[in-house]
Amino acid sequence: MAERLSFFIPRESLIHRANPLTKLILVFATIIISFVSPWYWTAFMLIWINVILAFVGRVQREYLNIVWRLLLPVVGFLFLMQSFFLPYGGEELFSFWFLSLTAGNIAVSFLNASRIFVMVSSFILFILCTHPSDLMSDLARRGVPAQLAYVVVSTLQILPQMRTKANTIIDAQRSRGLETQGSFRRRVGALLPLVGPLVFGSLVEVEERAIAIEARAFASKMPKTSLRVISDTTIDRIARWGLVLLVILVVAVRIWLWLTSRM
Amino acid sequence: MALVNLQNVSYKYPLAEAPALNGITLQVEQGEFLAIIGPNGAGKSTLCYTLAGFIPHFFKGELTGKVEIDGQDLGKSNLNQWVLTVGLAFQNPFSQITGAKLTVYEEIAFGLENIGVPRQEIMERVDSIMALTGVSDLAQRSPYSLSGGQQQRVALASILVMEPKVLVLDEPTSQLDPIGTREVFQVIKKMSARGLTVIMVEHKVEWVAEFADRVVALLDGKMVMEGSPGEVLTSEHLAENGFGLSRYTQVARRAAQQGLWKPDVRLPVTLQEAVDGFRRGLE
Repeated sequence: MAERLSFFIPRESLIHRANPLTKLILVFATIIISFVSPWYWTAFMLIWINVILAFVGRVQREYLNIVWRLLLPVVGFLFLMQSFFLPYGGEELFSFWFLSLTAGNIAVSFLNASRIFVMVSSFILFILCTHPSDLMSDLARRGVPAQLAYVVVSTLQILPQMRTKANTIIDAQRSRGLETQGSFRRRVGALLPLVGPLVFGSLVEVEERAIAIEARAFASKMPKTSLRVISDTTIDRIARWGLVLLVILVVAVRIWLWLTSRM
Repeated sequence: MALVNLQNVSYKYPLAEAPALNGITLQVEQGEFLAIIGPNGAGKSTLCYTLAGFIPHFFKGELTGKVEIDGQDLGKSNLNQWVLTVGLAFQNPFSQITGAKLTVYEEIAFGLENIGVPRQEIMERVDSIMALTGVSDLAQRSPYSLSGGQQQRVALASILVMEPKVLVLDEPTSQLDPIGTREVFQVIKKMSARGLTVIMVEHKVEWVAEFADRVVALLDGKMVMEGSPGEVLTSEHLAENGFGLSRYTQVARRAAQQGLWKPDVRLPVTLQEAVDGFRRGLE
């Protein structure tokens, strides 16, 4: 199977067709709501909304694959650590040696883990369903500096390239006799010969890439055009305003609850 | 008046003690194919960056003398204007890819989007340059999935689509295999035949001998020789100073030492000249 060279999965779907800014606002709205909402179930519900959206965007296989391999282990680790070591107390459910698991800790850890899950999974879904050129062109068209838009987009694009490059360096170093598998100590020892060429090589490429894009008038002050047609329908605009209002509403509810709790 | 006009150009990188370019005076005519040769550290890439406007607008340092291309003075222009006149491609095909585009077609269109060319015209110009550079069949491929030679042709197409008057190439084939080298040279030859002014730094002297109208030799930032490929690439003086010789020249020199090459026949720089020379030796 050919190696994927970008996060973006070209598919025909409602989410793919949506304007990039609408999707970006959806991501930030989801994150803000999950962090601001006072209820435990909000973030958990948003996790499942993201899963549904992955199916709507027809990227469920790739989405669940990344979530399973990348996100769940990290969030699971975070949940366990916080469950054992946060100082919220409450009813003790389990204890072993110096470790103690309490209901209060579990509740807070669950909320934190859910929020992190929502934040990362929203971005995963966004980059799977958004063409990088569309994002860059749309942001630039709306007045975001082209340099900033480029940095965002190229960063997303460069991660799969870095992975490919890292694999090449690993193969090259192995062919020179470097052992990259085995005990923890051996793996740590192999890290420097792998990371060094990757980091320094990338730094050299940054300057060359800067020259390459300047040679193609990237910093030109002329108004930019776009090869791709980026849709921005009435539904997009309604969705954006709806999301902004929803965020305002959740923030207002949170403030109101905070004020009433102080009375 | 020459299209490219350099008068007594010197340049010193920040913190460097010695100048990378030292008193370069050079004129290049419209449609000419000029090759620049020299050992490592001779100032070839610095000269390319100067011609392409990156010195002094990107790399700071001390630039003196006059650089004029198509009537524009480098000192009075900004980089955004300059890159519309002078296109630059360099060694590493991988790092010339923007990293922001998914397909070769979009990659080539990037420069035109930046200068506000209308969408319909972008498509016409991209289609045309892809056909000319032989990358039409790669249009929907990811630029990262291509071979080095294909990537370099895409990089060339990305510059050529902007229709510069001068194309500056800094060792564009140094990281390519023989097939990739041939592909890239074919594109450059085609553009040169269409009247584009080409200034190319290149180590592969057999190719230089084949295509260049004129060769300039740089050593320690100075121009040490200038002339036709036959004159420059067979020079004893350059060979003694670390310049590469064409394999045909090397064979003929060895043959001359053994009396197998007629002394009145000039040393060859191309395969055809070598064949003709040896044939005359046999007559």
